[in-house]
Amino acid sequence: MSVWLDAVLILIVLLGLLIIVSHRLGSMIQIFGLQSCILGVVPFFLYANGIEFFIIIVALAAIVLRGFLMPSFLYWAIRHVDMRTEINPTIGIGTTLLLSGLAIVGSFLLASKLVFPMKIASDMVIPCSFSLIIMGFLLVIGRMKAISQVVGYLVLENGIFLFAMLLLKKMPLLVEMGILLDLFIAAVVLGIVVNNISDEFNNTDTVQLTTLKD
Amino acid sequence: MSSLILHLGILLAFPPLLLGVITKTKAFFAGRRGAPLCQPYYDIFKLMRKGSVYSVTSNWIFRLGPLISTAVILAAGIVLPIAVFKAPVQFGGDIILFIYLLGLARFFMVLAALDTGSSFEGMGACREATFSCLSEITIFLNLTILALLSRGLSLSGIFLGGLASSWMQVGPVLILVAASFFLVLLSENSRIPVDDPETHLELTMIHEVMVLDHSGMELGCILYTQALKLFLFGSMLVSMVLGLMPRNVWGQGLYFILGILGLGVVIGVVESAMARLRLNRVLYLLYSALIFSIFALIVILVRGHV
Repeated sequence: MSVWLDAVLILIVLLGLLIIVSHRLGSMIQIFGLQSCILGVVPFFLYANGIEFFIIIVALAAIVLRGFLMPSFLYWAIRHVDMRTEINPTIGIGTTLLLSGLAIVGSFLLASKLVFPMKIASDMVIPCSFSLIIMGFLLVIGRMKAISQVVGYLVLENGIFLFAMLLLKKMPLLVEMGILLDLFIAAVVLGIVVNNISDEFNNTDTVQLTTLKD
Repeated sequence: MSSLILHLGILLAFPPLLLGVITKTKAFFAGRRGAPLCQPYYDIFKLMRKGSVYSVTSNWIFRLGPLISTAVILAAGIVLPIAVFKAPVQFGGDIILFIYLLGLARFFMVLAALDTGSSFEGMGACREATFSCLSEITIFLNLTILALLSRGLSLSGIFLGGLASSWMQVGPVLILVAASFFLVLLSENSRIPVDDPETHLELTMIHEVMVLDHSGMELGCILYTQALKLFLFGSMLVSMVLGLMPRNVWGQGLYFILGILGLGVVIGVVESAMARLRLNRVLYLLYSALIFSIFALIVILVRGHV
């Protein structure tokens, strides 16, 4: 079972890399949706010998909310945007890729030093969640378009969710659901913001926001 | 003795067929009948019989480059085990010799291209050298991982029986290594997402632009070397994925041949399905291959499967 868990985790990190490489906003959102769906499967592998009702609920909620609703909202937000590609990122795509490669190495080294109090099904969960967090962070700081920053934020959140899954049995269901709801609201609000930016300026470049005058 | 003959026989005779399989697959996807499978052999024999034309600005380096690179790639093939047949020459650390032989072949091709004095060929040589910087590191890392897993320092130790048990323990990691190997294979052999082996007129090409001035026997050598190099990479990838054991010689040999032909079909499908990447995005492809192998290496080091 651990082998399958490893394969799923590696796939999730690789999809993160794919988000970084793709320069079309549409494909970024699609890959994010795919990544979230695969992330929703992880609890079944993590708790393979003891699947309880609330675990199924958390997994299903993650798949539906992160995998389908959020991507469709983001699509709704960019429906009027003409420039659907990320042209001038502040940190180049190649640099971001190499940095995320370093991040993967760093998180594995860091995680090998950390001691987790419980027994985990695979020792790759924590490093993979760290590297997802750093990749999302790199996307947030490195991109110009509001929508790719939102995707970056969501990738970062996926990393946090992956980590939180280790605590699924200790953490009440209510907290988990609350976090998901917060995230969903945040994505909706950001989607509306992006939509308004694009209505106002005909593009979604956040650089323009720094030169606002009344 | 018979294993030596079989090894050399496959090494010398099989590679052009791989090119034929790729062309046939591409023709199938384009809805054409396509050239016969043996067309690369006919091409090579035709070119070998023809005379060459040399520009007055070129000197002996230009004539010798393709010959040396063919010889060097053949030497690299002698170090590599093919299917279940042990390499005729093997010693601890021949991984490094293998990679540097590939580098030497490229060095002479680059020199020959620069020798023509044409700026167009110089550009191609520059690109070839640039991209090979990244792919060489990746090959080194991949072979290091395989050496760590199989506890063998020679290519024969790695590819003959050392890896079959690793698939059970660290399968996902080996898939990463295989993916990285496949990307490097595409870039090193100038297949489509990186370079188009069919065109001779476009500005984004890499390998083809270096060999524009060669003709006759030298061009035949270049074509053969190209096939040989693709075969060497494909043979490494296939032996790694299949995890061959040197027990049942004929069964495993057949398995290997089918694997190689399957790889040809896969390359053909990739070439039919994808367009060539823009030149600056080729770099991302190579970065990804590098990151795949770094990822695999760090997992294996942290896990302590060594």
